[in-house]
Order: sequence, then C-alpha cells, then structure tokens
Amino acid sequence: MTSVVRAFRSEVLKFRRWSVLAGAGAMLGASTFIAYLTFHQIASGATGHEMTGLIAAFHTPEGLVAVIGQARSLIIAIALILVSANLAAEWTQGTLRNLLVRQPNRLAWLAGKMLAVVLFVLLSMLLTLAASSTLILILAPGQGVQTTAWTSAEGLRVFAEFLVNEALCLIGVSTLGMLIAVLTRSVASAVGIGLAYILVFEGIIAVVAPQVSQWFPGRVFNTIVGAAVPLVGPTPAQGYPAALLTGVLWIVGFVVVSALALPRQDIKA
Amino acid sequence: MNAIEARGLSKRFGKRAAVDGLTMSIPAGSITGFIGPNGAGKTTTLRLLLGLVRPDSGTAFVLGSPLTQPSRYLPRVGALVEAPAFYPSLSGRTNLEVLARLGGYPGSRVDELLETVDLADRARDRVGTYSLGMKQRLGVAIALLPDPELLILDEPANGLDPLGIIEIRGLLRRLREAGKTILLSSHLLGELEQVTDWLVMLHEGKALFCGPARDLLALRVELVIEARDPARRELVTRIANASGYACTQDDDALRISCAAGFAQILNRQAGEAGVTDLAIQVKDASLEQLFLALVKGDVHDLGRPRIP
Repeated sequence: MTSVVRAFRSEVLKFRRWSVLAGAGAMLGASTFIAYLTFHQIASGATGHEMTGLIAAFHTPEGLVAVIGQARSLIIAIALILVSANLAAEWTQGTLRNLLVRQPNRLAWLAGKMLAVVLFVLLSMLLTLAASSTLILILAPGQGVQTTAWTSAEGLRVFAEFLVNEALCLIGVSTLGMLIAVLTRSVASAVGIGLAYILVFEGIIAVVAPQVSQWFPGRVFNTIVGAAVPLVGPTPAQGYPAALLTGVLWIVGFVVVSALALPRQDIKA
Repeated sequence: MNAIEARGLSKRFGKRAAVDGLTMSIPAGSITGFIGPNGAGKTTTLRLLLGLVRPDSGTAFVLGSPLTQPSRYLPRVGALVEAPAFYPSLSGRTNLEVLARLGGYPGSRVDELLETVDLADRARDRVGTYSLGMKQRLGVAIALLPDPELLILDEPANGLDPLGIIEIRGLLRRLREAGKTILLSSHLLGELEQVTDWLVMLHEGKALFCGPARDLLALRVELVIEARDPARRELVTRIANASGYACTQDDDALRISCAAGFAQILNRQAGEAGVTDLAIQVKDASLEQLFLALVKGDVHDLGRPRIP
C-alpha cells in the first residue's frame, strides 16, 4: 500500500506539465463554450428539429444538465487522450525505466499513477461542469430565463445523478485509455487507436449491428449517463442496471488485462 | 564477495540473441568497466540487471538477491541507463522529486544531490532548457538518489566537457572509497582505463573477458621495432601480416599492436631470416588498442573468458 501511495504522490507532481494542464484547460474552455452556445441558441429563441428536446426540457429540473451536458463527447475524448497520452508518454520519453528502477513493483506503480490520473480527470470534469453551470446560471437572469427548476431539490438530484454517472463513464474511459497505452507503449499509437476506436469503430458497429454495439465499452460507458438524463446521450437499450453491470465488468476486464500485461513486458524504451 | 554474479544469462529479441549465455562476476567495492562494440549486449545486460527486461535463461544475483526479485535489491541500486530521460517541461528539481517521492526518499536528499552535481543554481529551470552536459549531471543525480551500494552508469560522461569528465572521474573515485560498487559502461576507453580496476569485455552477447583490468591489458602489447633499413621494415611487416597483425610506420619505427607472446615469434622468425639484432621495445597496450582488436575481429588472443 505504501508503494501505491508513493506512486500516487510522485504522479501528482507531474500534473505541473503544460501538456497535462492544457488538456484540462481544453476540456474546461471548449465545454464551457459549447454550453454557452447551446444556452444562447435556446434563450434567443432558435428552433430546429434537433433542438426540440432541449427546448422542451429547458425550463424543467433537467434543463441545466441538458445544456452543460452537450459537450460530453468532447469531455470523453479529452479524458481518453489525457489518460492514454500521459501513460504512454512514460514509454515514449523513456522515463519508465527511471520509474521502474525506483519502484520495481510495476502493479503498485500503475495503481498509484492511475489513481492520480483518474482523480485529475474527474477533478477536471468537475471543474468544467461547475464552470459551465456557473456561467449559465449567471447568464440566465439577463436573458429572462427562470432558473428555479434547475436549483430546486429535483434539479439538484438530477445534477448529482448526472455527476455520478459521468464520473463512472470517465473512469471507464480512463481504464480503456490505460489498457491501450499499456499495449501500444507509444503516445501517437495510443491516442490514435483510442480515438479511432471510440469515435470511428464503435460508430460503425452501432450503425451496422446496433444490437451488438450496445454491449461495447464506449457505448456502455456513454449510455449509463444517458440513462440518468436522456438529453445528454443515448439511453441504454438493455436497461440501466444491465448497462451499469456491463460497464463495471469492462472496467474490471481492462484493469485485469493491463495488470497481466505490464509485469510481463520488457522495458526497452 | 561479488556485487553481481551472472551465470549463462541469455536474452533474445526475436531471432537475435542480445545476450548469449553471459557469465560474469563483479566484485563488491570495485569500479568495473563494461566495454564492447555497439550491439554487443551491454545495454540489454544492464536492463536485465535492473529488472527492466526478463531473461530467457540463466541466473544472476545482484547484491546477493536473485534477478527474479528486483524489489529486494533495487532500493540499493542507482542507475543511469542510456541517454537520461526526463520530463522536459518540469524543472530539474521536480524531475528529481518525482523519483524521490516514488522511492520514498526525503526532500533534503534532492537538495543535497543538486549540490553534488552542481545544478543547484539551475534547479528551478525547465529540463528542456538544459544542455546535454547538464542533463547528464541530472541523470547522475537520479542514479545517486538512493545512496546506492551499486551504481550502474551507462555512458555517464556523454556530453560532458573536459571539466565535467574530470568531476565525474573524481566523483566515481570518491564513491569507490566510500565502498560503493560501480558498473560503468563507456566508450571513453581512456577514461575507463584511468578509473577501472575490473573489466568485462562483451562481444556478441558473451563475456570475452572478465577480470582485473591489469590482466586484460597484459594480454596485449604494442611492439615498437626500430627499422631504418627498408629491407628490415619489409621483413617485419611480412612476419606481422602473416600472423594477422597490421604494422604502422612511425618515423623510423614500426608499431604492432599484438598478443604479448608475438614479440618472441617475431624475434625468432627474423633470426631465421638472418636478422638477429632486431631492436624490439615492448609497451603495454592501451584499452583502446584492445578494443580495436576486438571490433576488428582480432579477438583470438584475448584468451578464453576469465571468470574468477
């Protein structure tokens, strides 16, 4: 346990890197901007088929989450890049050999590092959603938008449910990023394969074989959030409990495969 | 007592044997030079000793613990393998702190080491702005972090200016005096010759020699033959070439880097050819000459691996 704590504390120091901070900044900036655009469109009376659901939910307790949740795909993509690039960079930069000489227990090192990285991703997400929410809540009165439903007990419950499921989603995406980084051992490959898998491969499978794709990890992690607030993502066809269980199984699977692969690897970087 | 003991250690990458049945021992408290041409298996051997790659066969013990249990000996080992790797956007101090926290060493050790390698003034600057020599010194600081019993250094003088090289040499000697064992891989053979008391010469993954440096140097000599007369020069050159040695002419003398026993052969064959007063001066060969003999394939006279 001491080894894991040491690895965690060591990893925290690396968050000062501009590349890590830039990732968190991009998540915060772009997501807040998307939330602002969505809010501005609805508040200024924009209409359109794709906006119908959002407009209908705007004045309900789900309204705020529906607006700030429009950037979820971006948050997922940035989280995947952050985790996979951060981990794979240890191979690409050659820093892994320094780390494993100081901490030969590879699993303890991976556990400590991933705890820190996932925590960073979750804090970035929390900060992003807090910033988006605050901005929308500040702008709303000026546009004549009532926020009473958003800040009601029901509104806060929806927000909390959304947060918990979004956190689960990002934990799942992070473990997927970890597995890809451990297997590819290169920043370019890890980021490329990760994004191609989530954005392209699963997208194609969803069109070709939707019954199969609903069990795929990217889809499962995404739908558990949609189950809480349908306006921010697809809902799970298999139902929330089944999707949640599948998501947890995927997470366990990614962790187990990573834990089996890393100790068997020759570190040649 | 040996700090490192390897028996038949092998590692293959695909079809290529990077380390091929390596047997060697390195006494505790020595500075051991680890030499061999590129691709001889030096770096793979160091990675095996550090638990970074797993052997296909063979056994090894580092500081008395088996290679299969690196967590038992690595806390007492410091290493700088290949070009030092850092996080370029972090400061030198933070790079060192990352590893200090990971290994559980106090922050005061970081300050101490930055002073030791003369980087205290630039400690807060980003490593990306460091010169190669400064990065090398930071790498040495990382290796010294655990106050190691065994220090493994791969090309520590790479990129250092002459003053930096002298400082490293002094540091190594101080560490040996403090009872540390140092395994030093370097292509600066002149430097190695000055500091090492033990040598391991690697070729194609095998140890061609493992023993006291003076024993290896005694295996090969440089003959200086006074030969103003062109006929004598031709005779000596012919005898040397027939034995597989090249001659170089230096003013009125011929120089031959060869096995220690060749002086007698030359003298005898020259006598048989009617030259009985050949003036042969025998000088100790340098490590560089030995290394050149190795890479040219003239390794037959280095003798069989000497494993104490």
